[in-house]
Amino acid sequence: MYRYVMKRILFLIPTILGVIFIIYFVLNLTPGNPGRSILGVSAPQEAVDQLNEELGYNDPLIVKYYKYIKSLVVDHSFGTSYFTKQSVMDEVLPRFWVTLKLAIIGIVISTLIGVPLGILTAVKQYSVWDYLPSMIAFLLAAVPAFVLGMALLLIFSLKLNILPSYGLDSWECYIMPSLCMAIPITAFNVRFTKSSMLESIRADYIDTARAKGAKEKTVIWKHALKNALLPVVTNIGLNMGGLIMGAVVAERLFSVPGIGALIVDRINYRDEPVIIACTIVIAITFTIIMLIVDIVYAFIDPRIKAKYTRVKG
Amino acid sequence: MKRFVALILALVMAAGVLAGCSSNNTEGTSGNSGGSNTGEKTLIMRTDTAFTSLDPANSNNTHDIKLYDQIYEGLYGMDEAHGGYYNELAEDVQVSDDSLVYTVTLKDGVTFQNGEPLTASDCVFTYERAFENANMNYLTSMIDSVEAPDDKTFVINMKYAYAPVAHTLFRIKIVEEGEVTEQGDKFGTIPNTAGTGAYCVSEYDVATGCKLTAYDGYWQGAPDIKNVEYRVFADSAAAVIAYENGELDYYEEAALSDWDSLYAKAGDAHSAMVKGNNVIWMGINYASNANSVLNDDLVRQAMFYAINKDDINVAVTEGYGSPMDTYMVPEYCPTQPTSGFENYAYNFEKAKELLAQAGYADGVNVGTILTTTAAHSAKAAQVIQANLDAVGIHAEVESLDVSMAVERWNAQDYDICVYGDSGNYDFNNIRQQVHSESVGMYVINYTIGDKFNWQRIEELVALGAGTADNEERMTYYTELWSMIMDTTTILPLINRPVAVVWSDRIDIGDPVPTYYKIRNFSWVG
Repeated sequence: MYRYVMKRILFLIPTILGVIFIIYFVLNLTPGNPGRSILGVSAPQEAVDQLNEELGYNDPLIVKYYKYIKSLVVDHSFGTSYFTKQSVMDEVLPRFWVTLKLAIIGIVISTLIGVPLGILTAVKQYSVWDYLPSMIAFLLAAVPAFVLGMALLLIFSLKLNILPSYGLDSWECYIMPSLCMAIPITAFNVRFTKSSMLESIRADYIDTARAKGAKEKTVIWKHALKNALLPVVTNIGLNMGGLIMGAVVAERLFSVPGIGALIVDRINYRDEPVIIACTIVIAITFTIIMLIVDIVYAFIDPRIKAKYTRVKG
Repeated sequence: MKRFVALILALVMAAGVLAGCSSNNTEGTSGNSGGSNTGEKTLIMRTDTAFTSLDPANSNNTHDIKLYDQIYEGLYGMDEAHGGYYNELAEDVQVSDDSLVYTVTLKDGVTFQNGEPLTASDCVFTYERAFENANMNYLTSMIDSVEAPDDKTFVINMKYAYAPVAHTLFRIKIVEEGEVTEQGDKFGTIPNTAGTGAYCVSEYDVATGCKLTAYDGYWQGAPDIKNVEYRVFADSAAAVIAYENGELDYYEEAALSDWDSLYAKAGDAHSAMVKGNNVIWMGINYASNANSVLNDDLVRQAMFYAINKDDINVAVTEGYGSPMDTYMVPEYCPTQPTSGFENYAYNFEKAKELLAQAGYADGVNVGTILTTTAAHSAKAAQVIQANLDAVGIHAEVESLDVSMAVERWNAQDYDICVYGDSGNYDFNNIRQQVHSESVGMYVINYTIGDKFNWQRIEELVALGAGTADNEERMTYYTELWSMIMDTTTILPLINRPVAVVWSDRIDIGDPVPTYYKIRNFSWVG
């Protein structure tokens, strides 16, 4: 397993290099003028040109890319924000933790509710325990996060006045943004787990288990669920990545200072250092999450574990 | 299965630990959170985006300047509700006969928030700092040098006579030399006590906003409201809900589409639709390389008559704004001419007739309307496109990031543009649009060819700026604005109002469109 984990960690390096290159390539294609954005419309053109030169904005793509990598490796610096003149890391990291917290809470909620409900709907297929959760999940999966967030705000903040509508000053503040992020994923988890369970339940080995006289409870929990969980775990990992990248709606709606809102804000100002740093942080996180998923996968699926375990003589 | 359950439990614990890292302030819903003076109520203000910097020389964004107005002060102040500029840190300003030297006597008893007394050397330091900053170029380009003959006297030597210098004296905020020097490059990124304003910054976070604490030694008396918190509400719908829920005390520049619901909550006692100090214009590049048809006077006149400003007003401001004929808002600009020029009132038939006279009875393509991605400009551009199309003048709309749009406008690389400006209080502001030496908004280049008498235009700009006599200035500016309107290149479109609502916890005095002063607010009861 150690070999496997190391291999995946080393794979992070080319991934990050590739991500940085793609970002530079895309930004290079996008029109913009950071010098003008920073100095304003009334600044003399010479001052704007000079600032763009200092920022390296006029450098060829490959030179910009090289300088950035060098700064990252040698100085361990993501640079300084064009917009606020503050260290990019000082801006990005606190916001990243906020988004990560929300995403973790979101994934816990969606997993704790979505997976058991999915199992229930599969086991109780064609009963009210199937129709009702499936229908609700279908509806919730179709509601855009923005609408969901607004509904939460209207009900819990405006009408009932039991939850604050903005910020992260107290633990109550986490409830609505987390729910806004978690509910669509929960609905998706219900449907995904149900289809995975149904596929597993209909497999030949389940018939075999039943033919052997195993109790229905044992058949479901020991044989069907264990096999059905493999794709569900992968799905949870992907959901986690999706929550981090898609947190922007909840962050803006609930005035939460997260990384998604930061990227959207700074795209308006073409604040390249911040945009690139955010993307790198998200890329690394996503890769780490997928690594964790693969390790968990290996625990659940003995075939993978066996592949990377040395045979002792 | 056991492993799976263990994994879930581990995730729950991790979430609990992470959530537990947050502070446990439970006052969030009451609007009383934050602040440094424990036990005091906190005024919650809305900002739609993060503050760029705490350095008043580092930003010209209006929302940043509003914050600076609470922390720092200039030699002049701005009271939009009662006549405009007034002496703030300046006790007296004497102007030499040739209008080239301004001698400012500073007020006694003024101290910075760090306790240091205000001196003329701080003013010299501040102005010299502004000279080196390209952001401040439009405020300082007319100043040759500054000096401090003694602690209370500050002298400004001008390069040329410049009557509208009041805006410079207002916008350049005096900072304390010692603290700014000590903070060095950090100044603006961390809280400081280098201003003379009624509040100093106690916490500053680019992500969430900032907190202000009253300066009890403020020279005009300690303000009633001791703690202020600016919160970033990027989404206006969220801000509306926060206001309706009692979590927001002062909400200005609310989206006009939200006005009905805000007004329903606030009522007449706590809301105001204030006349905004802004104008949206349409510009026509008569020298467009791509569309020589725009060089035809009849076509441009037809375009002017084809524009229905009422339509634009409805689309952009829900009808709460007002169509404009003047370059600036006369209520805020005493030197704005209000008569003596052609205003090109909407006339569909005349537009058709002029187009036919120009030889385009079957219609003509005039290229692209280039504007910014700002919602009000983009909406105005769409209505203009429809208005023009109705008379047979066809154009496409292109929206760009403001920095890119400005580059294209300055390079005269466009056909038609929709642009705007706000927060200016002197007609000399027109210099940035009609004088070939200006930068930023010199969108129409009148010096190309001999089509227009640009020499006279620039002479009138100089004459208007060169005298302090408002009557004389009005004469020059009337001729100037009439000339500009005759060129059919710049057409004022509409003025957007500013919707302001506030909570029943506070009294804000007279509402203003831009530069409110929290020191004038007070708690009710």
